[in-house]
Amino acid sequence: MDYIEKIGKIFFYLIFSIGKIIHFIFFFFKYSFKPKFYLKNNLKYFVDIFISSIPIIALTGFFSGMVLALQSYTGFSRFSAESAIPNIVVLTLTRELGPVLTALMISARVGSSIAAEIATMRVTEQIDALKTLNTNFYNYLVTPRVLSLTLALPIFVTLVDFIGVMGGYIVSVFRLGFNENIYLMNTLNFLSFTDYFSGIVKASIFGFIIAIVSCYNGLYSGKGSFGVGTATTNAVVTSSILILIFNYILTELFF
Amino acid sequence: MNIEIKNLSKSFGEVSVLKNISMNIKNNKSTIILGKSGCGKSVLLKIIYQLINCDDGEVLYGKKKEIDIDTFGMLFQYGALFDSLTVAQNIAFIDHINGITSYKNKVLLSMKDVGLDSINYDKFPSEISGGMKKRVALARAIYKNPKVIFLDEPTTGLDPINSDMINELILRIIKKKKMTAITITHDIQSALKTGDEFFFINDGIVECHGNCNEMLKIKNLKLDEFLAGVKKLQKTR
Repeated sequence: MDYIEKIGKIFFYLIFSIGKIIHFIFFFFKYSFKPKFYLKNNLKYFVDIFISSIPIIALTGFFSGMVLALQSYTGFSRFSAESAIPNIVVLTLTRELGPVLTALMISARVGSSIAAEIATMRVTEQIDALKTLNTNFYNYLVTPRVLSLTLALPIFVTLVDFIGVMGGYIVSVFRLGFNENIYLMNTLNFLSFTDYFSGIVKASIFGFIIAIVSCYNGLYSGKGSFGVGTATTNAVVTSSILILIFNYILTELFF
Repeated sequence: MNIEIKNLSKSFGEVSVLKNISMNIKNNKSTIILGKSGCGKSVLLKIIYQLINCDDGEVLYGKKKEIDIDTFGMLFQYGALFDSLTVAQNIAFIDHINGITSYKNKVLLSMKDVGLDSINYDKFPSEISGGMKKRVALARAIYKNPKVIFLDEPTTGLDPINSDMINELILRIIKKKKMTAITITHDIQSALKTGDEFFFINDGIVECHGNCNEMLKIKNLKLDEFLAGVKKLQKTR
């Protein structure tokens, strides 16, 4: 009986949470199309996350491309298909690794900071203070973050794709002895617009997920430092899981 | 503006915080809401300000049921200053976020009103003391010239000297600007100094109310216990 009660509680908690997050998304859209728009605030936030995330994104792309080239060589050299390495590197990066790894890194780097910041604001009554100053929480805090991440992720992914291909190129040319011109030609000839586009669409959706989940967890955080910590952890874990689930769904759509 | 609270109730889960509370807050008076920690004072204040909803009852602002947020200001218990903004941006928050940049003189005037040196203009909240944070929060609360000001535990976390200075400041500002003030506190000195009327809340109900200068003469068992507790605490110090 005890177990049934616990399962029931978890079930109702899940339903309640899904309802709350749908309600949150509804309000985000409602206020995103309603004045006031704090353009300066939106732009500042976009520039902030863009500049602060570039180094981590560049490193992720560079090392992923290098590892991909090395690992592909290990496999393809067994049946003399080394020439497929440039194709594998560029396809894997643009369609899969670029968007997923970038989203996971941004979730850890930016998502956690969004959740912690909003949760701290909640705990220290700054969210209430916003209301007393006639400022809508969604317009001031949620919209800039959601818009920034939804727009920034595709740019980050483009960067990761480019730097990753360069990483693969460096390993292939200088370590595995590929001809540099043939490597680049194979990369460019094999890449289609759909490959790149599917990655960009994924990135945009992942950016939206990270921002919404992080803002939501921040807003509904518990009290005190424990509440802030839990909100941050929940934001990163939930958005990472959702990224992986949506990655499969979107891959099926673009398959 | 008179604020009339009628049969207000609020529960969190199974805990009933406010039970059928009614009170009348008079225009241009300083009303003190007294009570022990956790008796529901802050919840009451947030319901009056419509920051949270009540389960039952209503609040009338003059004759209206909806609050005109621009005519109200609030000083939060711990200031609730925005960490990423400077002192000036905090004080002139409504102008700052709306892209108005010509607020410098108005901010300096507000800073002068609350006894803040202009040297703090560009500092961040993390760079100033607790007493100064309270002054910045007070300056922000009065920046838009509200008709009604809510003060949530204005002297919490301050030493006796700073507490007294903040009380003096509040008293001076509400008299100068002719505001209706609603203060939540468990600090008797603060209540006696800044209040005209008081409501004593105990276990979610209004136990007694009256004029602040008669507070010590009123015969009420719960209020006596509360005052005796405060006096005992002061003696042990």
